[in-house]
Amino acid sequence: MRGVTHRQDIINKQIRGSHMGKRKGIKVLVSVLGLDGHSTGAEIVSRMLMDAGMEVVYLGIYQTPEMIVQAAIQEDVDVIGISSHASNYGQIVDLLGLLKKNHLNDIHVICGGTIPNQQAQELKKKGVSEIFLPQSTSTSIVNYIESNVKRPDV
Amino acid sequence: MKRETDYGHPIKTFYHPKDIEGLDYNRDLGDPGSYPYTRGYYPDGYRKRVWTQRMTAGLGSSKQTNEVLRRYREMGQRGGMLVICDRTNAMPIDPDHPIGRREAGVLGWPGASLYEFEQLMDDIPLTGQSITLLGSCAMSSIRLAYIVVLAEKRGIHLKDVHGSVTEYPFCTTFGQTDAQPLDLDLKLWLDSSEYIVRNKIRMRSGILSQHFQESGGNNAQALAVEMAMLKELCGLLVHERGLDFDDVALLPYELVSVGSRFFEDIAKIRALRRMWAKMARETFKAKKEKSCQLLISVHTSGRTMTYQQPLNNIARCAIQTLAGAIAGCTAIDNACLDNAHAEPSPLAARMSLNTQHIVADETGVTDVADPLAGSYFVEYLTNKVEEEAYKIWNKIEEIGGMIAAVEKGFVQKMLKESAQEKHREVESGERLVVGVNELVIPPEEDFQIPIQELKTGDSEEIARRMEEWKKTRNMPLINQKIAQLYVDAKKEDTYNLMPSIIEAVKAYATAGEIIGVIRKARGLSYDPLQAIDCPFDL
Repeated sequence: MRGVTHRQDIINKQIRGSHMGKRKGIKVLVSVLGLDGHSTGAEIVSRMLMDAGMEVVYLGIYQTPEMIVQAAIQEDVDVIGISSHASNYGQIVDLLGLLKKNHLNDIHVICGGTIPNQQAQELKKKGVSEIFLPQSTSTSIVNYIESNVKRPDV
Repeated sequence: MKRETDYGHPIKTFYHPKDIEGLDYNRDLGDPGSYPYTRGYYPDGYRKRVWTQRMTAGLGSSKQTNEVLRRYREMGQRGGMLVICDRTNAMPIDPDHPIGRREAGVLGWPGASLYEFEQLMDDIPLTGQSITLLGSCAMSSIRLAYIVVLAEKRGIHLKDVHGSVTEYPFCTTFGQTDAQPLDLDLKLWLDSSEYIVRNKIRMRSGILSQHFQESGGNNAQALAVEMAMLKELCGLLVHERGLDFDDVALLPYELVSVGSRFFEDIAKIRALRRMWAKMARETFKAKKEKSCQLLISVHTSGRTMTYQQPLNNIARCAIQTLAGAIAGCTAIDNACLDNAHAEPSPLAARMSLNTQHIVADETGVTDVADPLAGSYFVEYLTNKVEEEAYKIWNKIEEIGGMIAAVEKGFVQKMLKESAQEKHREVESGERLVVGVNELVIPPEEDFQIPIQELKTGDSEEIARRMEEWKKTRNMPLINQKIAQLYVDAKKEDTYNLMPSIIEAVKAYATAGEIIGVIRKARGLSYDPLQAIDCPFDL
């Protein structure tokens, strides 16, 4: 069951991507914030990034900005991907603030989902690197990450 | 372009009598109003009663949602009201919970107490229209208690209220997350269902394939999952709770997702009527004809509403509404043109209701029952989707039924693979979606629709209001009712908690408190998110 009481199980069940891709080493945390239960998009994107050879840490649903930042530090990720379905966007702003506070400005935050245009513009102004709207192609997401993430050890 | 059903069966250029060879009219179809009800339940179709035309309401505070309900009534919403609960309520946690206060009123109505329900229903009648409250399974017993208590307070006979306020325990598996474990959801659902059936309340319970299909399942899978759920849940009410099947059969209603596969969607609903009728008669030995008629409502698919060129969604919605109407159903609620952006704006809501009225009043679809019967293609598709659904349903039964299939992850895996496949089909261009992978225009040329959304701070305001209100309650009375609930919740699972939940609701205990105490009695943490402690001395 996806019960919140099993939150630790969800974290423990992180999906590990293969290391076969040419851009070996890019690590992406994929998560859903707050009480949003729409996990299909996050799962599809996780699969797509893994197929492109990236390593994916899938945190799943019911995550707070604090939990995501903590996991991002532990896992040393390059990108945080937030899947959002008509959510309360304030929590994405909280996440950006928390990253800044922890001097993690080099982590790219990208969002995907049904985010109204005006909110999307606001979020970009506040520091979200890119927003992928519904039906964005795999290629556009993968290309964006590959061309914007520079990992020192690659 | 792919020429296959959404469950991967090839479609020919035309169909012929040979494609439905062996079809026996009386055995497989029957006239409308006759077993096996493939053609519907009424010989006069919609002539006596058109489907209930309704719109979903629910966003922001109870007062805001009440205003929307009143507006829908003015717009001509006939027969029933439909309110969806918010994310805090789905869990359920209270809006003043530290995590809840960020999302109270998001995507629905924050119905955490009788106080909120009274505000929601201010100047809205409890009778003369169907009352539908959509939300998670865990809240089912509490929503039912709202109805019972408000009817009592208004001096209305409970038997005069009809609608649906309870939902099935598998919604969590299909993306409609509540935070409760399956065994607790199941127990609470069985309690509320038993209470409804024993007290002969005219309230249905949603056992829905809509969530499954909106999460990416295909038509054959949706039918199979629906039948597997109905079999297991009705079976538990009969065998574990000792109810008569002919009473239980009046409980479930199914909300079918109707998407863009026009003929397949119609075939799916026709097949569902036949499959339920057969199960009712053959498996459950139904004695009454009414027991062989599953109540079916239609939800036009939110999944098919595109973010790009949202005005196109008006056309999609009209086609899907027509499909639902042709298939024959009791009620239709529409996804709106702004579905991929936000909750329905007044404009989008009006367009959706108008769409239903155009289909009902201008096309002639209400003149004749099951107009596509006898079409070689539609009868073939009806047989085919049924056949494929039986195969999947049999696999679920082999695993041990729906609960076992969920616990083993079989259903989730099937759903995930289907969702991935649907995504792949659009991405590769095998399925065309106008505005998405065909006839695409640059975003700046797109028509800007009005967007209704919750502002940051609205959630906080709902939370603060609840905090203040909580201080005004009669705490000794609440403590007494909560203590009784705690004692009862420690008893065996078949001990029905509805009476003690009703008492707690009447005393204005909140949803977070009621579920929290039941959780605690079962050895779980009071707060499903483990952020707050139990405020009661138990």
